[in-house]
Amino acid sequence: MALSKEDFNKLAVLSRLKFSDEEAEKFRNEMDDIIAFADTINNAVSGGTDDIKSTGTDAVLYTELREDAVKESLPNEKILSNVDGSKGFFNVRRCVK
Amino acid sequence: MRELLTTLSAKLQSREISSVELTKEYIKAIEKENDTINAYVHTTFDYAMECAEKADKMLKEKNASPLCGIPMALKDNICSDGHLTTCCSKILKGFKPYYDSTVWSKLKNEGAVLLGKNNMDEFAMGSTSESSCYGAPKNPRNTAHVTGGSSGGGAAAVAANMAAYSWGSDTGGSIRQPASYCGVVGLKPTYGAVSRYGLIAYGSSLDQIGPITNSVRDAALVFDAIKGVDINDQTSVDYNYGNVTGALTGDIKGLKIGVAEEYFEGIDPQTKTSVEKAIEFYESNGAKLVPVKLPVLKDSLPVYYIIACAEASSNLGRYDGIRYGYRADNYEDIDDMIYKTRSDGFGKEVQHRIILGTYVLSSGYYDAYYKKACILRNDIIRKFNGVFDVCDVLIAPNAPTAAPTLGYSSKSTVEMYMSDICTVPVNIAGLPGISIPCGKDESGLPIGMQILGRKFDEKTVLNAAYFYEKNAERAFDEYEGGVNL
Repeated sequence: MALSKEDFNKLAVLSRLKFSDEEAEKFRNEMDDIIAFADTINNAVSGGTDDIKSTGTDAVLYTELREDAVKESLPNEKILSNVDGSKGFFNVRRCVK
Repeated sequence: MRELLTTLSAKLQSREISSVELTKEYIKAIEKENDTINAYVHTTFDYAMECAEKADKMLKEKNASPLCGIPMALKDNICSDGHLTTCCSKILKGFKPYYDSTVWSKLKNEGAVLLGKNNMDEFAMGSTSESSCYGAPKNPRNTAHVTGGSSGGGAAAVAANMAAYSWGSDTGGSIRQPASYCGVVGLKPTYGAVSRYGLIAYGSSLDQIGPITNSVRDAALVFDAIKGVDINDQTSVDYNYGNVTGALTGDIKGLKIGVAEEYFEGIDPQTKTSVEKAIEFYESNGAKLVPVKLPVLKDSLPVYYIIACAEASSNLGRYDGIRYGYRADNYEDIDDMIYKTRSDGFGKEVQHRIILGTYVLSSGYYDAYYKKACILRNDIIRKFNGVFDVCDVLIAPNAPTAAPTLGYSSKSTVEMYMSDICTVPVNIAGLPGISIPCGKDESGLPIGMQILGRKFDEKTVLNAAYFYEKNAERAFDEYEGGVNL
């Protein structure tokens, strides 16, 4: 199924990606081929089975849960070490107007 | 093939060479060869020397691990505390994790030496490593050809003797296929066998960390070191493997090898012949061939791309330029900053997959694509289970051809996706698989075959591979560059 311009723009917003008009047109054409490829799922030889497990890997048993205990967290300066010019916070521009 | 780790370990344990001396040799090799091969995107040489000094102290005491003092590398999506880990993406430019992945933490405790991070496709999305923001690595067997991907840098580093072994991640073949293209060994363990804590996520129900090595025995040795349950990865499993390396006998008498003709459809004749010859070699040495049917293989490609992209679109939602990595300049407000950061920071292939993933999860399309893919996935799992009721392993080609020339990824996206047909079914079903060399094509490029097995049956898979490596004639010469001790 070909992607309409409107649908493509919606997907771009949901994906938080921005394209110029020219890029959007090129990208939309490329996506048409990719979606046509995804559509081949409708020609599947298998009928499938309905019992969907969350990961599809049925032998995996989740037997152990982490103890609900307070543990020491990473120090602030480590967490902020990837932020340029941090003054003890993650910095963003004012977003409440 | 060379059992490099066993040899190096014996030299280190007997103090014939120190870890510091060995590490210096590897650093020299990387400095000499990396401009050509581009296997490493970040090096950690000062840290490597620190690790080597510590390893030498451990080696002086008794009972040091066989991996103690041996220089190795991690794929650029496996975290180590304080070292650049960027998924070869502009969006993670400058990112230094503040914790160790479980894999590196375990290896570090055993005295391993970290040389650096290996080149890869951006966010592990690709089959040639050409989508790396640092440029593609080159195949050491012929530098006009790709290494494969996405763990291409790791396979190239091992093939060119620029690391004794490396760690990759395999979401749809990303360990096995580059190992095959570069003529080395790549093991994709069972889903759940190895903790992914500290692996930057792509498709969480498919991703698995595994080793790239020079030999099957080396792969077993490093697998033994990192397998096992981890409280930090809820999908890891407490499976009682015992010692896998100790179980390598090379005895395949009575081994039932499944051969599914569907795996050989559309495969280049040279690859097909090489793999068929290897299968005959097994048969002539006492294995039993069992013809099996796997028509669901055809379904695997769309199922894989729908599930992987759906998971990727969610996993990659976290990159917003706020807490780490790249942030775009010149934005108006916070929304504009996020849009611009993501649009500038992600490469084209990653954007394709985010959009496809968003599409298959969006209202109105979810049932037709994502739900349907999950339903089919269960059927694929069931069919593989049925096959392993009648055979112990499956043998199949790793890729339709040997390594293509550089520039392959500029072909159409869908054509690229189609080339993953041999490797993705195993990820969908969560099975273990190993890639080992089994021949070469007319231009001398390596051809690999994969041996696949039941869940958590790495022992049988590795043993079958070990038999071939020990007994079959080697198809090509060792690489002459890099560290050769």
